[in-house]
Amino acid sequence: MRGLRAWFWRLASLFGKERHEEELAQEMQAHLEMHIADNLRAGMSGQEARRQALLKLGGVEATKEIYRERRGLPVLETFLQDLRYATRTLRKNPGFTIIAVLTLALGIGANTAIFSMVNALLLHPYNFPDLDRLVLVWENRGIDEGVDARSIAPQDAADLVDGAPVFDALTTYRCGNFNLNAEGNVQPLLGCRVSANFFAVLGVNPAVGRVFSSAEEQPGNDQVAVVSYGFWQRRFGGDATLLGKAIQMNGKKYTVVGIMSRGFDYPVSVELWVPLALSPAEKVDRAKLSLVSLGRLKTGVSVAQARIAADSVALRLQQEYPATNANRRTEVLQLRKELYLYSLPLFLLLQAAAVLVLLLACANLANLLFARIFGRQKEIAVRTALGAGRWRLARLFVTETLLLSCIAGGVAIAASFWSVKILRTSIAPSWTMWVPGWDGIQVDRAVLVFTLLLVAAVGLLFGLASVLHSNHKHPYTTLKETGRSGMLGSTGRLRSALVVVQVMFALVLLVCAGLTAQGFLRLVDAYGGYQAANVLRTEIRLPEKSYADSSQLTSLYNRILRGSAALPGASAASVVTNSPASNVDNETTFFTIRGRSTVKATQAPSADLQISSPDYFSVLGIPLVAGRVYSSAHNADAARVAVISRSMAARYFPQSDELGQQIRLGASDSSEPWMTIVGVVEDVRQNWWNPISRPTIYEPFFQAPQRSMVFLMRVSSNPASYSSAVRDVVRGIDDQITLTGIGTLEREITDSIAIIRIMGVLMALFGCVALALSSVGVYGVLAESVARRIPEIGVRLALGAEPRDVMRLVFGQALKLTGIGLAIGVPVAFAMNRAMSSLIFGIVSINLLLLASFTVLLFGVALAAAYIPARRAMRVDPMVALRYE
Amino acid sequence: MAEKKDVWQGTLALMVLKTLDTLGPLHGYGIARRIEQTSGDLLAVNYGTLYPALLKLEQEGYIRSEWGVSDNNRKAKYYKLTRAGRKQLEREARDWEKTTSILARFLAPGEETS
Repeated sequence: MRGLRAWFWRLASLFGKERHEEELAQEMQAHLEMHIADNLRAGMSGQEARRQALLKLGGVEATKEIYRERRGLPVLETFLQDLRYATRTLRKNPGFTIIAVLTLALGIGANTAIFSMVNALLLHPYNFPDLDRLVLVWENRGIDEGVDARSIAPQDAADLVDGAPVFDALTTYRCGNFNLNAEGNVQPLLGCRVSANFFAVLGVNPAVGRVFSSAEEQPGNDQVAVVSYGFWQRRFGGDATLLGKAIQMNGKKYTVVGIMSRGFDYPVSVELWVPLALSPAEKVDRAKLSLVSLGRLKTGVSVAQARIAADSVALRLQQEYPATNANRRTEVLQLRKELYLYSLPLFLLLQAAAVLVLLLACANLANLLFARIFGRQKEIAVRTALGAGRWRLARLFVTETLLLSCIAGGVAIAASFWSVKILRTSIAPSWTMWVPGWDGIQVDRAVLVFTLLLVAAVGLLFGLASVLHSNHKHPYTTLKETGRSGMLGSTGRLRSALVVVQVMFALVLLVCAGLTAQGFLRLVDAYGGYQAANVLRTEIRLPEKSYADSSQLTSLYNRILRGSAALPGASAASVVTNSPASNVDNETTFFTIRGRSTVKATQAPSADLQISSPDYFSVLGIPLVAGRVYSSAHNADAARVAVISRSMAARYFPQSDELGQQIRLGASDSSEPWMTIVGVVEDVRQNWWNPISRPTIYEPFFQAPQRSMVFLMRVSSNPASYSSAVRDVVRGIDDQITLTGIGTLEREITDSIAIIRIMGVLMALFGCVALALSSVGVYGVLAESVARRIPEIGVRLALGAEPRDVMRLVFGQALKLTGIGLAIGVPVAFAMNRAMSSLIFGIVSINLLLLASFTVLLFGVALAAAYIPARRAMRVDPMVALRYE
Repeated sequence: MAEKKDVWQGTLALMVLKTLDTLGPLHGYGIARRIEQTSGDLLAVNYGTLYPALLKLEQEGYIRSEWGVSDNNRKAKYYKLTRAGRKQLEREARDWEKTTSILARFLAPGEETS
């Protein structure tokens, strides 16, 4: 208690210091005077009395110092003193301070911004309790079905729960489009049908109301809905009395029983959730992988254990139900990890680049600091000579660099609020809604802590580096030196090494930036297999329970296509199951070639299936390679035909005898009709993540009509302006049909690769920053070295050297430093390239021309940076220079 | 001049408290002189330790200080024992007596061996 009281007193005494000092002086003075008076009384002479008193009192200043230390908190006081001193020094050199702060702020800010993305997308994608126990469970049929095909058959999922006792619970769901009927018009909604335990497995509760009961999983009982916060706000204006009210969807009334809290958006940001009510026949189905399944692992069960347990069930099912389950395995993947597939390498690369930028900034700052320490050698020597300990000096330096990095961190954090917002809003919400955690990209506590740690690390690192750097000399040596002739050999070498490292980093960053940009351009090009310009695109959603049979569908789409193709300026209209750049994989199917025997049903070849109307090829301008495409004559009454893609022909008909051959969908035991191959078209790159186009079968829409289709229309110009016209055409046919995602195909393509573009832009930005930083570094070292060598240059000039030789001296040094940096950087860049191309789609291999041009660029930058110091060296007046000595 | 002993650390606080208890409010110089006189000039109070010790006692709340006027009309800082200080004095004095009596028993010749 007493100790605490004393501590507070000492803390309080940090304030009002002057008054305390004055009182202490007065007290000492009084003491002295009283002592003198006593001595006089004892009969001493005036002078002797004073002398004795002073002797007795001892060193007044020393006493005061001990007293001061007792009074305040010396550690804190020295810190404040150092801080004041550091502030003064920084303020005295505004140029240095501004450059140092900006450089560091750039480095720290880049890391803060990227880390805010990593934090939201990789570390906290979902806000569920015990996220690491949530796993996706799906069945693998042994064919490449793409990443979207992570689904499971209903009966298999049920068997899994019983057979593999590793799950606390397993929930299933499937998402799709709903049509909301309101005030006479139809609005498309995205919703999910979920098992009753869906919310419990995720561990979330509704903000208001309740979730589903298992009784509501029965068909007929399922007309209840839980709506999302966003939907509640947008559609119902946050109506507080929404619970219990009915909404009309797909021609049925659903009672709203719950509202989820804001931010809950699993599996994506959908508008509502309704119970998954499977019919008895659907429940026992094993053939169709129709559901997505999410399990919560029992506490203490590892993902590997769960995988083994789940797969053993799959192996048993293979034996028991060979007709449906042959070759089927079960996969288990942590929900968190699912996101890592694409995003991890992207963000790791970005974070690595950001760290590189910070290192570059640090190298620059180190250069600046060391230059300054060189200028302060004398000051340091004087301080040391006056008795400043090593530790005290170290504290002074660390305080200074910490102050610098704190200011820089402050600037970086302030800027990151703005830059993170730009990052978050730079991609269309229609795409980011599929990226869990995207809306969570913000400067939150984790990001701030990360930044503070970075600031502290940078500050301490530099402080200590400066200390080590400044302390290796005896003060006497420094004080003895006159003028500027003292050559700091080791300092010069260290600073040159820093420049070499900078040039190296700059090259690596530039190459990474170049590779990403190149990858991005290649992706844009990848969609060049067809003409995306002047194409309007929209998805057509039919109201449920209408157009039940295929003849109705055929006539509906016929009317839509004919009506829109007749619009002035429209040249052709078509529908297809999946348009390119949709970011959704095509449906994959087995197929059988007539006359070729396959050993087992499950070893049938597989291909992508696209169903399209005849004009699809002309709308997109997909070139015909052989034969012909199907026409409108190929309808339900005509013989079945198909068109295949060039890669399909190459893979399965290597003798180019594909025309006239017959194939049918499904494995060898299928009863689908045979289709005659009538043509081969060029490959189309479906999505950016598929480096090679997969074999594709095109089936005529009018022979295999589907309900929901993507509508594509080619017009002469300005496709976006046709939106309302197409809407009118469709509404004129049936006003219950909804069109979603209407816009140009070009826009769709741009949006679909937005994430890659952002990456490219960021990398390019980092590359430019790297270039700028390294050129400043080269300039700094050369300017410093020229300044130091002025006397030497003076002697050279006096002895008859030409200004040209002096210039060569400076440029030579610049070239040497850059050359060494590049010599180290090129192999590193190659290694970087290998790592990147194995991690990131679309990045192939380093372009030698690109590498060469970056090398030249860096040399150019170095020479430009050397120009000013070189000119200064050339203009050295020998007389002036020699007078320095 | 005979060698004077410095005051041991720790005992100075006790001496200060006792001095203030006996004489009432007193300034630093007075305290120092009193301690020296009481010791029969065998002790020398090092002022470099006296003032920090006074400050420490004040911070701990055992004494209070205020500015006053000395006998010969000089402004001086007077230190005064507080209630807590009086208690502390009693405690310390007891402790000290115990310690000295223990030590005395150790140093008394021949008692234990007989």
